[in-house]
Amino acid sequence: MSSLSARLLVSVSLLLLIFFGVTIVVLDVAFRTASEQAQKDILDSQLMSLLAAAEPTDGGVLGMPPDLPEPRFGTIGSGLYAEVTGADGASIWRSRSALGLELPAIVPAAGGAQKFAEAALQDGTPLLTLSLAVQWEFPDGQLRPYVFKVAESLDAFNAQVAKFRRQLFSWFGAIAVIMLLSIAFLLRGMLRPLRQIEAEIAAIEEGARASLSDRYPSELQGVARNMNLLIGSERARSERYRVTLGNLAHSLKTPLAAIRALLEEREQPEFERRANEQIDRMDEIVRYQLRKPAATANESPALVRVDIAAEVQRLVNGLRKVHHVKSPRIEVEVDPRARLRGDVGDLHELAGNLIDNACKWCKSGVRVSVAAVSAEDSRAAGMVLRVEDDGPGVSSDDAGVLLQRGTRLDESTPGHGIGLAIVRDIVLSYGGDITIGRSPLGGAEITVTIP
Amino acid sequence: MRLLVIEDDEILRASLVAKLVDAGFAVEQAADGKEGLYCALEYPIDLAIIDLGLPEISGLDIIRRCRENGKSFPILILTARDRWQDKVDGLDAGADDYVVKPFQFEEVIARVNALLRRSGGWASSEMIAGPVSLDLTRQQVKVHDVAVELTSFEYKILEYLMVRAGQVISKTELTDRLYDQDFERDSNVIEVFVGRLRKKLDPDNSIKPIETLRGRGYRFGLERKQSA
Repeated sequence: MSSLSARLLVSVSLLLLIFFGVTIVVLDVAFRTASEQAQKDILDSQLMSLLAAAEPTDGGVLGMPPDLPEPRFGTIGSGLYAEVTGADGASIWRSRSALGLELPAIVPAAGGAQKFAEAALQDGTPLLTLSLAVQWEFPDGQLRPYVFKVAESLDAFNAQVAKFRRQLFSWFGAIAVIMLLSIAFLLRGMLRPLRQIEAEIAAIEEGARASLSDRYPSELQGVARNMNLLIGSERARSERYRVTLGNLAHSLKTPLAAIRALLEEREQPEFERRANEQIDRMDEIVRYQLRKPAATANESPALVRVDIAAEVQRLVNGLRKVHHVKSPRIEVEVDPRARLRGDVGDLHELAGNLIDNACKWCKSGVRVSVAAVSAEDSRAAGMVLRVEDDGPGVSSDDAGVLLQRGTRLDESTPGHGIGLAIVRDIVLSYGGDITIGRSPLGGAEITVTIP
Repeated sequence: MRLLVIEDDEILRASLVAKLVDAGFAVEQAADGKEGLYCALEYPIDLAIIDLGLPEISGLDIIRRCRENGKSFPILILTARDRWQDKVDGLDAGADDYVVKPFQFEEVIARVNALLRRSGGWASSEMIAGPVSLDLTRQQVKVHDVAVELTSFEYKILEYLMVRAGQVISKTELTDRLYDQDFERDSNVIEVFVGRLRKKLDPDNSIKPIETLRGRGYRFGLERKQSA
């Protein structure tokens, strides 16, 4: 589900369903239990009134008066029935209301005990029955067993329960609908800032505004702030590209003009060499501009953490192939605590240029090590990349010159100067530092520190 | 040696092929990735020069597919992209070296020779075996430090056998790798050339540089003086 409102509404509906469901069941059970108890109490008092009305007759049997205090006993089909049976189960007396009905036979519990039971008439009407077995003491001192029975139809009771349930469902249903509607309404209001962001970004795309406004609830202010940063750095970046492109185009014009001039004197000696010189110059200009750092470290939020060990190893594997003829021994050591947040391409550019140069200059050995900036603080960001070789090394005078853009100390090793200039540019863009020194191996030691 | 050049720029491809042919190679060429991949998988090739930015199938994919299919010939990448990341991607895919555009032809030929030597197990540009030495860059052959004049075809046969010194090379392989396609394909011609080569290298039949293995082919049998 991709919509936040839909997600919230569905989960709230589920919650309401569970909550109301449990509530309905609990209320229903409670209501039913209470009604049943009331029903039983009524039956019990009916039974008592029956016992009070019974009188022994002269014939030595029990007799009932024609009119009982409860009028429903006297009304046919009233739903309240009574019967008195002897010990053998034969009916001695029945209420008028039970006329023409066969009351279900119920064996009562042992003498003196009350027994509630549910039974049904032949036509299926459910009944709640209460029976009581008694030993009646006659004036002549004899004890005779009788069973008093009262039964009441459960139709009215069931109708009452059903009515209660209907009311329960309709009330809770109405409440649930009202709650969902109000949540949906609230959501619309809450999500309004998101729609506002969307509209503002669209306006930025069209160029109608420069950045997002700051009138956002606190939860969204971070998003808006980061979005503004991103927009700002994108703008700065495209501005940089524009400037770079301009520089590139302009700096290519000079060698182009030179080549055109050379073409006019193509018969002159060394034409080819001089033309090639101009082409090399153009090539170098293009390479320098193309390999500039991909991002400026502290500006762009889109930087990722680079797997230094894996990338350096890939690079060294490739360089081993390239320098196969010389087959220098390349030692690699990467401290797992070293961190670089930046562009993978920049790491390749840094390490690639430095290790490639070292392979070109070394006699037989190159050492590459990457360490953490701080030995104590293992969580500190940054890395120290050190590339050493056992070649002739670089004098301190040359070191300064080498770090200038496009300088070549030795024309016979092409690309040496521009590589270092690129490294320097990348290091500066990350706010880092580069030093050239002498390695214990005997040759140059170039150390790049990226915070 | 038979090379394959896959490059979509027509001017560059034509000039590269012409110069490689001048330098004594038999050259196949392809203008797009699909054709190039077919050639690389189906033709007998000693080395491939592959441009990375190709139409249809990229250079990187061709390299990967070649290696997946067990092709082990050396691969030289031509690329206009010279960020290290691009180079490493190419080398990772199975290429052996790269040349960045715009290049000078001498650089390409130097890399090609180095890769061919390397694939035969030679470390330096001068291959020495017994009293015979062959300089791949200068295309010069010496026996007992005396230069021997060879025709271009005799040189090609010797170069092919010597780069693979110690291996048995069949006549069919020699014809495949050395002739251009329109050449007369007759194994008798090879026998004639090998015979002449023997006479020039070893007039008094004392060092016996090239052995004939009946029914199997030829082998440059002298011990390598220096190998990687």
